Amino acid sequence: MNQLKRLESGIKGFDALLKGGLVAGASYIIQGRPGSGKTILANQLGFNHVRQNGRVLFATLLAEPHDRLFHFLSTLSFFDRGAVGQSIQFVSAFDTLENDGLHEVVKLLRREITRQRSSMLILDGLLNARSRAETPLDTKQFIAELQGHAAFAGCTVLFLTSSQLDDGSPEHTMVDGVIEMGEDMVGSRAVRRIKMRKTRGSGAIPGAHEFEINDQGIAIYPRLECMLTRTGAMPEHPYTILSSGIDGLDAHIGGGLVRSSVTLIMGPSGAGKTSLGIQFLSGCSAQEPGLYFGFHESPQRARAKARSLGKDFAALEAAGALHTVWTPASAGLIDRVCYDLLDRVERLQIKRVFIDSLNALSRATADQSRVPDVLDTLLGELRARGVTVMASWEAHRLFDDQPSVPAPDVSGVVDNLLLVQFVQHRTELQRQVSILKIRDNAYDPSPLEVVMSNAGITMQKV
Amino acid sequence: MPTILIIDDEYLIADILSFALEDEGFQTVVAGSGRKALEILDRERPDLIITDFMMPGMTGLELAETIKSREKHMSTPIMLMSGAQAYMGAERPDLFDEVIDKPFDIDQVIGKIHALFQARL
Repeated sequence: MNQLKRLESGIKGFDALLKGGLVAGASYIIQGRPGSGKTILANQLGFNHVRQNGRVLFATLLAEPHDRLFHFLSTLSFFDRGAVGQSIQFVSAFDTLENDGLHEVVKLLRREITRQRSSMLILDGLLNARSRAETPLDTKQFIAELQGHAAFAGCTVLFLTSSQLDDGSPEHTMVDGVIEMGEDMVGSRAVRRIKMRKTRGSGAIPGAHEFEINDQGIAIYPRLECMLTRTGAMPEHPYTILSSGIDGLDAHIGGGLVRSSVTLIMGPSGAGKTSLGIQFLSGCSAQEPGLYFGFHESPQRARAKARSLGKDFAALEAAGALHTVWTPASAGLIDRVCYDLLDRVERLQIKRVFIDSLNALSRATADQSRVPDVLDTLLGELRARGVTVMASWEAHRLFDDQPSVPAPDVSGVVDNLLLVQFVQHRTELQRQVSILKIRDNAYDPSPLEVVMSNAGITMQKV
Repeated sequence: MPTILIIDDEYLIADILSFALEDEGFQTVVAGSGRKALEILDRERPDLIITDFMMPGMTGLELAETIKSREKHMSTPIMLMSGAQAYMGAERPDLFDEVIDKPFDIDQVIGKIHALFQARL
């Protein structure tokens, strides 16, 4: 099977969506309303292309002068003023379009591609070409001619347009790929999304993917569940047991937690879910470092909480045995958060993770229907990488005689399920743990009383 | 009344500059490319040429070289207006009498033009 030559864009998520990048010599439409980020994307592709020794011709059919564009681009790290006029040329074809028509624009661009030895042409303002065309056939001819000349010169073409062209438009039928950028409102939150609508000659990850514009330019986060699909067998990790950090619990679950298993701690607010996680992480070492991935507690508060249980998080962190990350849940973009977690696990060789909580992580997505798939993928990936995971899940009922809290959708990927709750015991309120599920190990299902003190957490049979 | 020829592929910039110079009492002619400028050069016989650098077909540098090679225009002063390539203009004093940065301060540009004409009187 033949593989077409690709242009690496320098934008990780972008190349991932196109399974390798733009096809060299092909033509693409990048469409989106004003403000959708298409000009930034195109310039980022252009400047990155120049960094790889390519030569770029950026031509506009719009009236706006390029100086304003440079002014705004200068706030983004990919912009290189020194390359402007050298390996990336910005020229205007507005005047030619107005006075001499589409045919002359093609001539001008063809000559320019040859003269500049351009390997990428970016044409802004395709909608103006359509307005100038007398018939849809003229638009088609304009695109076909430009494509022809560019392909002959081995030049990749990006057409930018602010119109919402539909699948049947002459523009779409002609080009090899259509990339759509947009912004959707979810409640009062705006979510930027990018879609690969048509991709000839390359596979693509379908559907909408979230992206953001930061000071590096465009950062695209392909949907996690489409990216991390493990079709082969899961890597085998030797069967070993790891202490949960609480002797009384270990004794009830066959000696401890199985390495690279996922344990979910459910319970209402205040029941001690975070404390169980802290107790678990306190067993980390520099050889087997742990990661506290929190949404609720700032690192300072997590350290204070650990101190109240007699655990010195600051010392563990100083020894390289523990890393603490705090991501405010309002930060949004669930895929970005998940990639960040996986990246740290990879980089820091993390062996234990405590995620506090899965509810907060879930809230980071604008599309709640994705939550089960995302969590499934994330937890499955961590397990495949040999990480032992503990995660909390906040249940809303404070009191319950029967441990019948509905398990969240993720219980399929969860190996062990613990429920912490408050139980009225004569006149006092007791914390109790019920063991709902332990995979691959015999366990004693009778409830355990949880006692927290500055010597840590102990558990004993009620 | 001196005539100034302005060359820029970005017609908005050429227009804005041309209006400002007309307000100052100059006569202006605008061309969208180096090729067009060369076509009208003999007819307009400008007293000053102001050109952009980055243009399709011919850069401001190539245009200036061509103009200087024509006997009738070799002594016509040329100003380069450019953002990123201003240094290239400064390196070629044989071609450019003055270099102005883009985006430009119109009063400064007018000041430089007056100074240029006064020096040549």
